[in-house]
Amino acid sequence: MTDTAPFRNEPLLELRRPQPRADLVAALAALDARLPLRAPVVIDGRAGTELPLRSVDPSRPDRVVALSGDASVDDADAAVAAARRAFADWSSRDAEDRAAVLIRAADQLRARRHELTALLLRETAKPWPEADADVCEAIDFLEYYARAAVALAGPRELVHVAGERNVMTYAARGVCAVIAPWNFALAIPAGMIAAALVTGNTVVLKPADQAPACAAALYDALQAAGLPAGALHVLPGGDEPAKALVAHPHVHTIAFTGSSAAGRDILRRAADVVPGQHHLKRVVCEMGGKNIVIVDSDADIDDVVPALLHSAFAFAGQKCSAAARVLVHADLYDELATRLAGAVATLQVSGAETFGVDVPPVIDAESVARVARYAEMARADGTVLAEATLPDGDDAVATPGFFAPPLLVADLPADCPILHEEIFGPLLSIEPVASIDAACDIVDASPFALTGGLFSRNPAVVAHVAARTPVGSLYVNREITGARVGRHPFGGNRLSGGGTKAGGPDYLLAFVEGRVVVENTVRHGMVV
Amino acid sequence: MTSAAVRATARRLSGPPGAAAPGDTAAPSDSDPPAPRPAPADVEARVPAIGRRLAAGMGTHHDPRAAIEARMMDRIASRDDLRAALFRLVDVRPACHSYTDIAAHLAALLDEVDTPAAPFGLARSLAGRGAAWQTVVGVASAAGVRAMAGRFIVGSGAADALPAVRRLWRDGVATSVDLLGEATVSEAEADAYAERCVEVLQTLSVGMAAWAPNALLEQDPHGQVARVNLSVKVSALTPHLRADAPQRGAAGAAPRLRAILRTARELGAHVHVDMESLDSREAVRDLTLSVLAEDEFAAGPSAGIVHQAYLTDAGEELDLLLDWARRTPRAHPLAIRLVKGAYWDHEVVEAEQNGWTVPVHTDRRACDRAFEALTDRLLDHADVVRPLIASHNLRSVAHAIAGQQARGLPVDAVEYQVLRGLGDPLGHALAREGLRVRTYCPIGDLVAGMAYLVRRLLENTANDSFLRAHASGTDLDRLLEAP
Repeated sequence: MTDTAPFRNEPLLELRRPQPRADLVAALAALDARLPLRAPVVIDGRAGTELPLRSVDPSRPDRVVALSGDASVDDADAAVAAARRAFADWSSRDAEDRAAVLIRAADQLRARRHELTALLLRETAKPWPEADADVCEAIDFLEYYARAAVALAGPRELVHVAGERNVMTYAARGVCAVIAPWNFALAIPAGMIAAALVTGNTVVLKPADQAPACAAALYDALQAAGLPAGALHVLPGGDEPAKALVAHPHVHTIAFTGSSAAGRDILRRAADVVPGQHHLKRVVCEMGGKNIVIVDSDADIDDVVPALLHSAFAFAGQKCSAAARVLVHADLYDELATRLAGAVATLQVSGAETFGVDVPPVIDAESVARVARYAEMARADGTVLAEATLPDGDDAVATPGFFAPPLLVADLPADCPILHEEIFGPLLSIEPVASIDAACDIVDASPFALTGGLFSRNPAVVAHVAARTPVGSLYVNREITGARVGRHPFGGNRLSGGGTKAGGPDYLLAFVEGRVVVENTVRHGMVV
Repeated sequence: MTSAAVRATARRLSGPPGAAAPGDTAAPSDSDPPAPRPAPADVEARVPAIGRRLAAGMGTHHDPRAAIEARMMDRIASRDDLRAALFRLVDVRPACHSYTDIAAHLAALLDEVDTPAAPFGLARSLAGRGAAWQTVVGVASAAGVRAMAGRFIVGSGAADALPAVRRLWRDGVATSVDLLGEATVSEAEADAYAERCVEVLQTLSVGMAAWAPNALLEQDPHGQVARVNLSVKVSALTPHLRADAPQRGAAGAAPRLRAILRTARELGAHVHVDMESLDSREAVRDLTLSVLAEDEFAAGPSAGIVHQAYLTDAGEELDLLLDWARRTPRAHPLAIRLVKGAYWDHEVVEAEQNGWTVPVHTDRRACDRAFEALTDRLLDHADVVRPLIASHNLRSVAHAIAGQQARGLPVDAVEYQVLRGLGDPLGHALAREGLRVRTYCPIGDLVAGMAYLVRRLLENTANDSFLRAHASGTDLDRLLEAP
């Protein structure tokens, strides 16, 4: 590890050239021939045989992508026990050894990147460029945390005086439960697992029930990289195993990415010390957002429109960083609203495998219904400025994809839920504001603070908004999604999360606890 | 008139006295094989004299305003922070709603500069001194930006561009008009751009109809050369351009490109499809070649595409264009405008951010060598395509002229192109050499033109800019050295 090259982001596929596109098409055909995949419960390297659940392709729900296990509370207990047994060995290894496992796992993902991109596309309806970025981000987390862990393993600098030797180190905490979302089905679990493992913790993973095959692929990569069977266990299934893990007396850390409600529920349960528990649980949580983009009167609309389209509608708005509200300086409002509406109407809604698709299906039928409820609200309480058309039904396909039409809405009353609740779908609202400070007041009034955007060509305004905004990541004059590991550390503040920044220089500190040894080196009045 | 007859009557390119190449007198005919490739030494021997004559023809700046501007540019170009601040002011100027707003932006931008040299330091301190001074600074900045823009942009529409276009025609220089505009993000905007293109073709066609004929500008060995010449941008013809889905953008733009081509065919005008960044190359190339190959357009209009020499795979791309031209006989052979490429910074930054191999030459000399190699190949294939050499680099242009002479190509077989506001002295020098010159003339309002203006300014003040080197007095011999 010591002679490893400095971290660099994994290069994205250059999809503007024909060959990489052809490679992906071939990988998808090869994957389709292997479906359905198997994603069993795995404890101590032993795979369960029962596969009662299934994940489907949201673009074409009659296509089963994976058959998966349905972990029980007993499975959760067994997994935690196994992880606990493996902890002594794994945590006592050199940081370099653990980091080397991550680096080899990254190589595994790299070797299978086209296949994994195709899998993300099938299991989560993530269009090609976004699916590719997901795989790259997973690789980046492994590579970045590997280097960070080695750097963290050395002693910290403390104040020294004669006659004492003071050493501070960071130690693994214990068993870490990782509860992962489906929207970055490879990258986010990879990041949370990698951070926990490389710092010496053992892990029980509860993947999202919509994307068990992506989690299984991640497990395979880590196993192939030489991770001990006891260090990682996988519990696909519903809420039960997740709840059992959160309440378990032997789980030390819970790393969670998901909805705000679920996150708060975890925080509450994790606060209880149950019988047999000898520690306080720590919760690393990334929750929802209601992300606002501010557009100043000097903004270049030519830049604003494409950036907003991408921020709000790519992956059908199902990124926690996605734009939900635009606050536009009144001087620019009419022009931007008109041009943005014209642009939204051109968005192509289609299955995820269509190159160039702007808005793929949402993840499941429940999401379709939720987005439809908000769309109804938009029609009733506001003015729908634009709505893109859904693809024509294909008679050969019995079940239509989980499509939700992208929608731009204006004139909503200030208390409308559309302006305050996370919709997690392709719905964007636009509002005029009298000034930049008025926009900042609205941002400040929100309980969420994940990402935010600003379009301004005045450096003084940029500095002013940056100083006022509470958000975890403010994106200036660009789209507000697409954080890259090491360059754009990512994590929400306020009710959007605990404030940790994934892919940043201090993220690993959330997975360790400090230990200090103060040794008296004076004997008979002599410093020895 | 058959193209053989045109060739027979075409004037020969006059070389420097006593340096006529052997091939100069042999008039090629349709049945002739392409001209044999001349020895590189033969071409190289001609370059210095051609370059010196062009340089002499370019003269010196007599316009005192231009001289001040040149000095100013030089001062700006030598300071990266100042250059950045002024580009950002030029960029934001059209979006400012008042003179005080301009002054506020100028002050904020200059705050990021360590110690701005006069007059920028003065501007910064004045802009911070209350409303009256802010207005003064705002008016001055606005006027400065407007004056700069006026050098590059000939008018806000076709009608008010006609006087400038006519002056050029009288000086023996043809034009290609380019419509500047906002980015196209909706179908309505794409429609509006296509309609403007059609209107401009009609306006120019009417406005230019009575002008005196000029055989050099209007005929070449392949036949008629259109007087009305319009450059179009595919990114303005559709909101559907996506780097990973070239067919989507091409399909979106095709109906509008067809409409423009039909008008051009009726009016006998030329339509030139511009190239933009590499993200859209496949879409632009596939769209242009597939639409031009349609039966409907076999007899016309005259049309062309742009080839960017800075791309490291430009050789393979040219293979593709030449192969298409050979396989696709049209009444008007494909015109290929060879340029260095205007999106260098964008290509480098995008590649670095995404971890890609930089797709452009990062070494100026390698880029110049590529330009010359591609020039040679275009000249070698002047029987199947119309070579258009668009460069402000005296060496590159002199090399092309030398290659044209050495191959014995007719004087009108190659067209030289320059940009309005940057290449005017070179354009006039080329015209005085008896060569066909076309000036690329953007039209549009200041707001619409800002992206274009910023790109041009970047080009003009870049450290490796030929124009900057020339203006700052770099020795001519060095400028004319083989790259």
